[in-house]
Amino acid sequence: MSALTATIATAVGPHLYWITSRAAGTAALLLSSVSVCVGLSIGSRLARGRLGELRIAHEALSLATIATLLVHVFTLLGDGFLHPSVAALTLPFVSGYETLWTTIGVVAFWAMLALGLSYYARGRIGAQRWRMLHRFTALAWVLGLAHSLGEGTDAGQAWFLVMVAIVALPALVLLLGRWIKRSSTPGVQAGAVRASTVGPAR
Amino acid sequence: MTKREARALASDRREHLRRRARRIRRSVAAVTAALFTTVFLVVYVQLASGHDPALSASSKARQTSVSHKSTGSTSTSKSTSGEASGKSTSGEASGSSATGGSSETGSAESSATESGSTESSATESGSAESSSDADETSATESGSGESGGGESSSAGSGSEGSSSSEPSSVTTSQS
Repeated sequence: MSALTATIATAVGPHLYWITSRAAGTAALLLSSVSVCVGLSIGSRLARGRLGELRIAHEALSLATIATLLVHVFTLLGDGFLHPSVAALTLPFVSGYETLWTTIGVVAFWAMLALGLSYYARGRIGAQRWRMLHRFTALAWVLGLAHSLGEGTDAGQAWFLVMVAIVALPALVLLLGRWIKRSSTPGVQAGAVRASTVGPAR
Repeated sequence: MTKREARALASDRREHLRRRARRIRRSVAAVTAALFTTVFLVVYVQLASGHDPALSASSKARQTSVSHKSTGSTSTSKSTSGEASGKSTSGEASGSSATGGSSETGSAESSATESGSTESSATESGSAESSSDADETSATESGSGESGGGESSSAGSGSEGSSSSEPSSVTTSQS
């Protein structure tokens, strides 16, 4: 096992950070897609019998997404070719490499981080306000998807597209279904807000 | 049901919920680790087999420029042939290992074009040498698919920083 690890480390050597970042980015995209799927199915009451388990899974998936996102961003600091600065990785419009797509990724990263962790500040924010904020997580996910398809090195690869399609398409369908449902029934939003103040926070 | 029994039942249920939550969290963590490892290995195998999208894009661009060069290598220019061809080869090798996207490809292309001019000049002074150089270059490029992009890329990434500057300095010295 150690020999295998040593072989990989030697062969990968100079590209270790780059490959790690790519793998973490793909993992983050897949995990966030599953998390959005689970979150939307909780919100639209698709899985009634297993709400408790789904909530735990949703929270765990969100935390896993944040962890892989952090790995994705900060391993790039070690990349020998790009040599990005911390500012280029964390501030919009600073990176000189694929500025638009990188900026979309940076915005998605911060939005994911802030909106995901806001769950733990729900008591301070207020359940109703938090619920309203939490809807923007889907937008952050869409931005992340655009970032990976626009800038991702593997975006043209069949394996990547198949993997992403398997998890992202159901999430997109659920998201569209929810938006259509909301826009077609004007009373739903007020009802949902009322229910959120009465029912459980998540 | 007595009060004690009710409490025991409640604590049992709480414990069961806690265990279930822990199990779900653990399985999500395991899935995350497995997913990351799988994608890492896929990308690694892709890179090692020479099918990496970024690297193959830059090498394709270079191959195109090399073929353009070989067809139009009848230009006459005089220069120090041995050194120039050697440097241009190393410049190309470092170009092929560029680990990035389109901007890197661009630099690789430009370096390849520059080295192209040096190679064509080398053709004049010694046709046998230059053809062997060209063969070597093409062999390196086509061989990267077999012998592993890891190797060729590792050789290149060491001189990644100098990949764009080296060939240009060669061109300057020539002119």
